[in-house]
Amino acid sequence: MSSVLSCLAAIVLGCPILTLLILGFCGLIQRPLPERLVDRLTKFHVAMGLVATLGILGIMIGTNHPMEVLDLGNFVEIGQEHFHFHLEFIFDRLSIPMVLMTFVLVGVIGSFANIYLQGDAGYYRFFVCFSMFLVGLLFAFLAGTIETLFLGWELVGLSSALLIAYFHERRSPVENGLRVWGIYRVADAAFLMAALMMHHWTDQGEFLRMVNDQPWPQGTSHLDPLASLSVGLLLLIAAAGKSGLVPFSGWLPRAMEGPTPSSAVFYGALSIHLGAYLLLRLAPIFADSFVVRGLMFGLGALTAIYAAMTARVQTDIKSALAFSSVCQVGIIVMEIALGFWYLALVHIIGHAFLRSLQLLRAPTLLRDYRTLENAIGGRLANGQPAWIARMANHRQIQWYQFALERGYMDSMIDQALLKPFRKLFKAFERMENDWLRWLESAKGSGSMKKTIRQDWL
Amino acid sequence: MEDHPGPNTCRNTEETKLDTKTSAFSPEQVQHAIEHAIHYLPSQGPIAVFVHHNTLHAFEHLPFELAVIEGWKKYGAEPYLSEDRYRHELLRGRIAREDIEQVLAKDLGQRAEEPIVLGTTRYELRLAMLIHPIRNAPVEELRWFIAETKALREFREDVSPNVESRVLRSVQEWMERNSKVTQQLTQQLTLGSKSEDPTAASSPEQWTAWTLAWLHRVCIKGASLVGEVLNDVLKDAIPVRRHRDIVLGSHGIDCDVCVNEQLIRFLGSATDQGFAQWGLPDRDRPLFELFQELYGVRSIFQPGWLKELSDLIAQDRASDRSSIESIVHSLESLGLREYGLDDFIDSTLLSLPGWTGMIWQLETNAEWTPRPLRAGSLQDYLAIRLLLDRASLRSALGQIAEIEDQPSLLQGSLSMERLAQVLAFHQRRNVRQTVEQRAFVLFQVAQLLGWAPNELESLSATEWQSLMDEISHCGTMERRRLLHLAYERHYRNEALDAIASQPAPVPSAMPAKAPGPISFQLITCIDDREESFRRILEEIDPAIETFGAAGFFSVPMYFRSSSDAHYIPLCPVVIKPKHFVDEIGQLSQQELQRRQAEARRVLGHASHRLHMGSRSLAAGTLTSLLGSLASLPMVARVLAPRLTSRIRELVAKVVKPSQATLLLIERIVPEMSIESAASESAAAESAQRREAKLDQEAKLNQGFTLEEMANMVERLLGDLGLHRFARLVFILGHGSSSLNNPHESAYNCGACGGGRGGPNARAFAMMANDYRVRKILQSRGLEIPESTCFVGGYHNTCTDSVEFFDIDRLAPSCHMDFLQAQSLIDQARERNASERSRRFTSASLGLKPPEALKHVEARAEDLAQARPEYNHASNAVCFVGRRLRTRGLFMDRRSFLTSYDPTRDGPGSEILTRILQAVIPVCAGISLEYYFSTVDNAVYGCGSKLPHNITSLLGVMEGAASDLRTGLSQQMVEIHEPMRILFVIESTPHVVLEILAKNPVLNRLVSNRWVQLATLAPDSNRIELYQDGGFADYQPTSSAIRVVTDSYACYHHQRGHLSFARLGVQ
Repeated sequence: MSSVLSCLAAIVLGCPILTLLILGFCGLIQRPLPERLVDRLTKFHVAMGLVATLGILGIMIGTNHPMEVLDLGNFVEIGQEHFHFHLEFIFDRLSIPMVLMTFVLVGVIGSFANIYLQGDAGYYRFFVCFSMFLVGLLFAFLAGTIETLFLGWELVGLSSALLIAYFHERRSPVENGLRVWGIYRVADAAFLMAALMMHHWTDQGEFLRMVNDQPWPQGTSHLDPLASLSVGLLLLIAAAGKSGLVPFSGWLPRAMEGPTPSSAVFYGALSIHLGAYLLLRLAPIFADSFVVRGLMFGLGALTAIYAAMTARVQTDIKSALAFSSVCQVGIIVMEIALGFWYLALVHIIGHAFLRSLQLLRAPTLLRDYRTLENAIGGRLANGQPAWIARMANHRQIQWYQFALERGYMDSMIDQALLKPFRKLFKAFERMENDWLRWLESAKGSGSMKKTIRQDWL
Repeated sequence: MEDHPGPNTCRNTEETKLDTKTSAFSPEQVQHAIEHAIHYLPSQGPIAVFVHHNTLHAFEHLPFELAVIEGWKKYGAEPYLSEDRYRHELLRGRIAREDIEQVLAKDLGQRAEEPIVLGTTRYELRLAMLIHPIRNAPVEELRWFIAETKALREFREDVSPNVESRVLRSVQEWMERNSKVTQQLTQQLTLGSKSEDPTAASSPEQWTAWTLAWLHRVCIKGASLVGEVLNDVLKDAIPVRRHRDIVLGSHGIDCDVCVNEQLIRFLGSATDQGFAQWGLPDRDRPLFELFQELYGVRSIFQPGWLKELSDLIAQDRASDRSSIESIVHSLESLGLREYGLDDFIDSTLLSLPGWTGMIWQLETNAEWTPRPLRAGSLQDYLAIRLLLDRASLRSALGQIAEIEDQPSLLQGSLSMERLAQVLAFHQRRNVRQTVEQRAFVLFQVAQLLGWAPNELESLSATEWQSLMDEISHCGTMERRRLLHLAYERHYRNEALDAIASQPAPVPSAMPAKAPGPISFQLITCIDDREESFRRILEEIDPAIETFGAAGFFSVPMYFRSSSDAHYIPLCPVVIKPKHFVDEIGQLSQQELQRRQAEARRVLGHASHRLHMGSRSLAAGTLTSLLGSLASLPMVARVLAPRLTSRIRELVAKVVKPSQATLLLIERIVPEMSIESAASESAAAESAQRREAKLDQEAKLNQGFTLEEMANMVERLLGDLGLHRFARLVFILGHGSSSLNNPHESAYNCGACGGGRGGPNARAFAMMANDYRVRKILQSRGLEIPESTCFVGGYHNTCTDSVEFFDIDRLAPSCHMDFLQAQSLIDQARERNASERSRRFTSASLGLKPPEALKHVEARAEDLAQARPEYNHASNAVCFVGRRLRTRGLFMDRRSFLTSYDPTRDGPGSEILTRILQAVIPVCAGISLEYYFSTVDNAVYGCGSKLPHNITSLLGVMEGAASDLRTGLSQQMVEIHEPMRILFVIESTPHVVLEILAKNPVLNRLVSNRWVQLATLAPDSNRIELYQDGGFADYQPTSSAIRVVTDSYACYHHQRGHLSFARLGVQ
């Protein structure tokens, strides 16, 4: 039985990887496949993956087997440094639903994009990023070790940023892509630190070992409180960056630069839940740390309220949906903090489907509104809640401005994170210049300085 | 404010300086400048009503060729396709060499034969430059090109072998004659290049290389003798109109980026038509006040420049400035001079053209929207924009001052002159071509024209100068203009040849052979998309007659269907309808309909709540938890769109209004005097009141009187020249439905103001069937036989479905005829779908007609489909005349067909006048909008449809936040050939000129060459072409036209544009 399961698991992972390799390789050697072939290839592999996942699910339910582990051994191992990069995948109650959802959504969006992007100059590029995204997501969802999760996490980040900057002939997609990439790096840095700490404290990155080989969601960690607090905090930062929690919420509406299907599936439905998934996966580890859970709850609540308010004032459909997504993710994080893990899982999956559908049909908005107006027989009320109307006028304007300007979150990040960073590097630049000047006077040769400066520039 | 001493002090200095300045702007001056700028704003209103219009409407008083260049200067948009694109068309045969020759000869006129140098005429020189690409590049690239490629070793590939050998021979002969000089020259040349002594060892390659090296040398020498030459204006020149241009040019800081981001958010809220759940508080107040209120307060995390802004607002408030005073103040503190005012204000308003234009539209032209803006909004907007600009400029200067350690930068005047000086900004506009660049151009021209270096050596400095002048007169814009003329000429000749090859009409004096029976008659819109439909019907049954008229069928009305909430105008936008028509349920069905309406209302409220709730906090949680259910419709709709829509339709039947309705076209209330609607500032009144007023007006103007009906019927039948009636006369309005398409309304009938023309056709048929109307008509001498029935219908051009109205009321004697006709129309639908499908890359080429129909039906229901249909793309011709003059001609859905019978028109040509008054502006608008959106899709068009994002229910942005995009999308125009539309009018030049003389609007379009015009004589095949105020005879260039058996044979297995063909079987 186990060999059948391993076989199926290999298909689940192998098919998308194969697609990525084929598409990527043909693209690299400047021989992109024709559109029809790309379409068939992606559809076939997604369908295979979906069927294989369903097979695994069926067998596991049939044999009452709560968990299946696919261990691919160490990718890198440096014995004396105690370093290993361990590839391990878990199929369990958490990852299988997520993978099923991924395949369904990605499959639907794939065939949507195939028609939508037909004849577009970036068609091939889109599908390369698309398959990279799929591989990344599968790695992230199925990861059994924190380093595997990180690998998937990075692939998702890279393909996301590239997809946001899909229309790279215009300025703002590239700028926004870069901004999202920057925020992802902050999240990555926090994640990496958390991973290192975990390795430091437990000598390993396998989730299962950390929870005494119990299938999710059972098991408790044996981390000491301080460790679980610091790891928990770092992971919270990572999740906040990836899932657009306060104060990083500003990136999600900015991600709506790409073609509609990529905004829909990637940022509206899948990418945005990656942080929540991380928290869900590691929830047993810091289940005992009430500080972490309290902070998580607070962050979730703050995000939900902030985003609900901001979403209300948005006047364009994609930003409105983006902030609504952030709002729901905030609630999901709250649910995780409260320990309603299954509820959170159901919430993630339901929300992903709902948002995808809404984003896919976003361009039909005008028609939908007209249909509704006709059915109702008058103009639509915009559903402004009564408590807003009851506010004093100047308060109302203040809060409205806060919501309209998105709480100046982006500017806050700029001032609190970016500015000191830039100042630091400016200082380095000055130091380097001073050093060069010193070198120059010591050696007396001007050409040296020039070459170094040019390299640096 | 007080805690920022820095900016304050410098502002004080700025103000003291200003006080001394004498020239202040008066509010009138500023208002005048704003009015000037308004003309340049895009005039597209809210996207729900999309009406095609000339993108460069503001320049219509200029000749076309000048206007496109003006547009290029004003908006930075391309005037024509790229030179490479035209050359590609030349290679492909879409432009023939002959076209270029003819166009050039005509353009140069007598100057053609003037010799330039070495016996080459101006004509030859320009022809060479038109046919062959002349490359040029920045100097560095050029040097690389010369050093690394075969540029100096082989002749250009497009130089003919004859020319090549002639040059080589000439050089050889010359060398034999002057061996001494040759040796010197050889030495010099060998130093510079790798060529060796040609006299010693001379393989042909070396020989060529040596000659070319010499030629290049001579060209460099010649170019260095040339003085000032006006350069082809360089594309990357930064026009300096605003402060932002200077800072961008000198330090690469774009002050507009943050200003635009801010403005887009604010304007989105201020103009929102009801999308946001939480609207701008007190949005009925003036924009300027709202803005001051919102941004006058500082908050902690604001970016620095917004803090500057709140200071500026505080100043304005302290001095209690109105928006116009604030503009004047801003202009003064920006150090603006009077002479640059217009230009400055134009370009300030044009820095976000889409939004600015929308403000103007909402202020002046959108009383039908839920929330128009109040008067003066544009002025408020300018005041806001200038405040933001100042804040952003100040913060940018602050940054620069910090980097460059120049604290003085922020002090003193902010005039553009001073800024340019202080920032060491170099304008790159006057970059002159260097000698090397000129030499390279000369070198290429010399090769193409076969000038040998020895001949060129003998040119004097003045000759070089005149040569260079001549070449630079034929710069890239000039070449593109000429190539474009050739591009148009080619198609025009094909079209005119095809029309001329039609059988000449029988002179009316001779009695025609007894006309056979007519199966049925079909009246459609003049739309180019109906061309194939009509042609195919005529092909199926040659006894069918078809007609074309503007798709509102001369029934202008406000219409409200039984399931609609509001009246919509169904007529061209220039007409304001006076009559209101309602669709109501039939008496027996009214109870059912009432219940259905109630059910719709309940469901509507529920789904609206769901829609809103899914975006909110608590309700959103609930909906998301159940969100997995959304996977079902999503998967189904994406994977099987057509099936899903079928199922949805079945379910919707429960609440869908039944077909048993009728139109209230007849006036039942006695006429009353209506108090004249207060016209001034519709914006000031609240939305509900306006709507209530419209409803009241509707009650008073319900329906038409019999007299009015008779007038409309008489008019349309007169326009069509319809006088012999078949038993059945179908009249089809048209429209289009598609999903995920914000531009859906652009696909509808232009003559119905972006609405669907079904109700107009239905109303017309009802009127023409009314025996009382017929009686009135009879008294006027227009006899409609009793046996004739009119049937109104609606053609959906996207799904190719045809729906008929009121067929239950057909006389039983017509039933058989109707069923027969219907089956023919069904056949035509399938074949029409198949002809359309050839254009869609996602439809395989071998699609059979029934499959094609299924395919187009699926397209309309497919959420993923970015091209539900191609709309007017590829339109090129408009024919006004009897159908028999074009019948049997395959026109590839590229021609508008307007019916007009010159033999039945009065002596004053009233009919033709009113037809042309409607048809020329409408078709020109469509053609020109397509033209401009195609030649520069990024500026005149709205870019790719893929990232479009509907905002404020008004229009689309690209991605997360951008300017409102106007014009047509890339997916709409990708198969279009940008050409000015060619009108072919069956009439005499005399009549047409007279009509033009009486109608300045038409005359402006025609005489400024925004459209092309030709006449076809009513009694022969003589064609005359409009040129410079008169008509000239057109001689068909070829008489041979492709003959094919039927349309299918013509388009079968073809994707691209097809040439005209005669359909063999008639």
